[in-house]
Amino acid sequence: MHRLWNRIDFAFSSAWQNFWRNAAVSVASVLIVWVVLLALGSLLLVLHSLDQIVALEKTKASAISVYLADTTPLSSAMDFKLHLENDPRVTDVTYVSKDQAMARFRQLPALDPSVIDTLGTNPLPASLDVTVRDIRDLAAIDQEVRTSPLVDKSPSTNYEPNVIDKIILLARVAGIAGLVLIIGLTGLSVFIIMLTIRTAIYLRRKEIEVMKLVGATDWFVRWPFIVEGLIVGVVGAAVAVLIVGFGYRPAVINLQSVLIFIPLAFDPAYLRVVLAAMLVFGLLLGSVGSYLGVRRFLKQ
Amino acid sequence: MAAVVETGPQIHLEHVEKTYPNGTVALRDVTLEIPKQDFVFLVGPSGAGKSTLVRLLIREEKVTAGTILVEGQDLSRLKRRHLPFLRRKIGMVFQDFKLLPNLTVFQNVAFALRVTEGALRHLKPKVEEVLSIVGLEGKETKFPDQLSGGEQQRVAIARALVHDPLIFLADEPTGNLDPATSWEIIQLLLQINARGTTVMMATHNREIVDVMRRRVVAIEGGQIVRDEDAGGYHAPALESH
Ligand SMILES: Nc1ncnc2c1ncn2[C@@H]1O[C@H](COP(=O)(O)OP(=O)(O)OP(=O)(O)O)[C@@H](O)[C@H]1O
Ligand SMILES: [Mg+2]
Repeated sequence: MHRLWNRIDFAFSSAWQNFWRNAAVSVASVLIVWVVLLALGSLLLVLHSLDQIVALEKTKASAISVYLADTTPLSSAMDFKLHLENDPRVTDVTYVSKDQAMARFRQLPALDPSVIDTLGTNPLPASLDVTVRDIRDLAAIDQEVRTSPLVDKSPSTNYEPNVIDKIILLARVAGIAGLVLIIGLTGLSVFIIMLTIRTAIYLRRKEIEVMKLVGATDWFVRWPFIVEGLIVGVVGAAVAVLIVGFGYRPAVINLQSVLIFIPLAFDPAYLRVVLAAMLVFGLLLGSVGSYLGVRRFLKQ
Repeated sequence: MAAVVETGPQIHLEHVEKTYPNGTVALRDVTLEIPKQDFVFLVGPSGAGKSTLVRLLIREEKVTAGTILVEGQDLSRLKRRHLPFLRRKIGMVFQDFKLLPNLTVFQNVAFALRVTEGALRHLKPKVEEVLSIVGLEGKETKFPDQLSGGEQQRVAIARALVHDPLIFLADEPTGNLDPATSWEIIQLLLQINARGTTVMMATHNREIVDVMRRRVVAIEGGQIVRDEDAGGYHAPALESH
């Protein structure tokens, strides 16, 4: 008990002193850890959103919403619906009124209801949701309906050929670019933490000399520096976790109000996983950096 | 010569050679036995290899060839993780004291116990005990720069005593001290020796060596040139001729 407490007390108080003794270097290493983890957290969340969009797009791949002009009377809309239903390529047509569209829109999880209320009049068009037998017919049907005067002009339909391919490509590019960035930053941060620890060791060289002389074990000498690295990792990670944790929801809401037709989801369960991963990664950066810092020096 | 104890000498060097990485040969073919509770002066000109010998005994350096046994333990076979335990058996002081300037007298001594996790439960009484052995009661809260050189060396000696060492090595402990203070330090080392600790002191202090008439091991150019039981600083004149 005495020993354990002595070890912890010694390691933490020395580490804390080290941290402030070379404050400039310590703050630099906290900053770089923070940047790495911010990049990591954001990348994971962006990729997750893209994943969700891809999944959603896949389920509606065989359907198309034909937007009706606000001037189209309901009877004309019903005639148009019947006309489409008689098309042999079409399996099903559903009429969605402006109110129903709004009701659906309100259910988008990331949307702040108060934002919608500030819109005043309902800007969403009514639509005919057409399901086809074979997705290869979607393009032809899209071309046909666009010529109808009943159909809204901006936009006419939600038909987006290759949207899935585009999103997958985007996800891949974002993923690779992000990964390269994070790997680079990870190397840099490990290096800077290592320098921080080397500086701390240099400032404590007299203590270390005495410790070895009187018979302290290697690990007793090392622990304060490892702990210092962990402090750097944890502080950097904590700041990044707070920013991502509190910033994710507002970011999704803001984006959603710009990208009205792309359903973004706020996924708290995934967010928790990301935050935990960031903390673990921060600890990892700190411990690897400080281990590299103490490894060479303490061998003699 | 020193009598051979049944258990063998406490420190035993056999054909020890030390060549530093830069090629300097500091010791060559040194063979030396030191029994328990011996008191040995190590003398010789500057660069003779005295400090090198001391550094080999605490394995701050490794021998290039030959064998060193301390308490029957072969130092070249000693695993790195066992090294701290060797150091706890050996108290060590230097010319430059090696005190930590930002710690008080008490803290400097307690530091040795804290970092080795020894006697933590009885840390305060143990520190007080060794401080009273060296005669520094009442100076516990002073910082090193508030002490005289002799007092600083006493703190270093107290720190070297906290583990109740079997062997006490002093590398020119009086090198920075005036004659009167040097004698006080010598008295302290004698007292430590009288309590059963083997003492080896490397020194240039001719007067002390000559007055004490203790065992003298003289090194020159990395070799032992003289080993006398009640010797002086210099070899006796060759009267026999
Ligand atoms: N770390 C080292 N690297 C290379 N050479 C060294 C090293 N330490 C000592 N030497 C050399 O080894 C020889 C013996 O040095 P050592 O310090 O043992 O002498 P010494 O007897 O203690 O001298 P002094 O009385 O001046 O303290 C000298 O030639 C010295 O220059
Ligand atoms: Mg020397």
